[in-house]
Amino acid sequence: MTTSHAAPEKPTRRLMEGSEAIVEAAIAAGCRFFAGYPMTPFTEVLEHFASKLPEAGGVCINAESELEAVGMAWGALATGARAATGSTGQGLALMQESLSEITRAELPLVVFHMARGQYDYHQATRGGGHGDYHHVVFAPIDVHEAVELTQLAFHLADHWRNPVQIQGDFLLAHTAEAVSVEPHMFEPLPAKEWAVDGSLGGSGRSRNINPIGMSKGAKGIEPESFWQRLQDKHDAMAAAEARAESEGCDDAEVVVVAFGSLARFARHAVRALRREGVRVGYVRPITLWPFPAEAVARAAQGARRVAVLEQNAGQMIDDVRLAVLGRAPVVPIGGISSDEAGFGIGPILDPDDVRRRIGLALDMQEARS
Amino acid sequence: MSLVESRGTVTVAVERCKGCELCIPACPPRVLRMSAERNALGVPYPELLPGCTGCGACLLVCPDFCFEIYQYEVPVQHEVPS
Repeated sequence: MTTSHAAPEKPTRRLMEGSEAIVEAAIAAGCRFFAGYPMTPFTEVLEHFASKLPEAGGVCINAESELEAVGMAWGALATGARAATGSTGQGLALMQESLSEITRAELPLVVFHMARGQYDYHQATRGGGHGDYHHVVFAPIDVHEAVELTQLAFHLADHWRNPVQIQGDFLLAHTAEAVSVEPHMFEPLPAKEWAVDGSLGGSGRSRNINPIGMSKGAKGIEPESFWQRLQDKHDAMAAAEARAESEGCDDAEVVVVAFGSLARFARHAVRALRREGVRVGYVRPITLWPFPAEAVARAAQGARRVAVLEQNAGQMIDDVRLAVLGRAPVVPIGGISSDEAGFGIGPILDPDDVRRRIGLALDMQEARS
Repeated sequence: MSLVESRGTVTVAVERCKGCELCIPACPPRVLRMSAERNALGVPYPELLPGCTGCGACLLVCPDFCFEIYQYEVPVQHEVPS
């Protein structure tokens, strides 16, 4: 394309909304198939995949529904391609059966969840599928971190042969930040010898991918050993992948726990309060599953109160309570906060309001029993 | 000579520009001007002068998605006649 100014020679960061940056990162990570169905605030992720994937030699399909989209991604993954899908919480609700089955089929799906508000913490971390299954769930705080975590998501999905979800929201999808998307080098991964890529056609040794642990030619299945092996894998993932960031928790009277876009407001408010000498701290789960329980417990050590800021009626607070285990009162300081369209752009997304809410936690009197 | 700092820069898809000039007043530091040259459509197109902040106002206002915005890690200094 003709330009009146050549693109700058020095390494620079291009101004992109989160949706575009995530797609650039996915393509840099080798994603070559995407299927989705439009739904705000996820729509732009699909649009950017549609415009960029063909140039990268990939395929993007606007499916007829979320059910089809996840099925298409499943098929692409089975051939060994790096593939992804996504939606909002409503669309992902439709995909839940496939998400649990894909996990059992041990396929490396990446899911982009642009939630309306933060209403889908439970869906992301517990899921609505069947059986014992988990996905690694990353909740980036900003566009820069979303670029990093998207590339890591594709690597970890292949490493564990397990779905990995990027948990974003309206703000992440639509906030423009200047970022540089450079392909990351991760440790080498084994060849996908399980992929049904046609390479063994006619040899009598063709492969079979299914969600019940049955191999081709096997006389029967051994569900207990299959499920136990998956559970052992999930235990290993839980031990290896928990990530968190914390600040100012050593001497904090109140520790604020927040994730994703809202954590950016919490971090801002906590820093402002600390500059005024108020003893508050902040801990942010970067992974929602595995929940960084140790990091949260350590941050809460010595705190008079743990304040959970989330933009919903109280979902992550369950995991915070389990992490703190009664050592300090855990109180909600977030709540339902949305615009009239239900996209989650509510009054809580305001530094002064977040500061006021932290102030309430500081001023609370201990309940007398 | 005096120094003008650019914190960012833009690229313009010149051949897509229809010369509507919406970007000219939209630019907060007023560093876009219409060219003396004309593109294949026969219209002038925006050119960038030193002093861009990389804010993206032109990108938002352009009906034809002609702009890409870049921000420098380290601002660039330009010498301009005072």
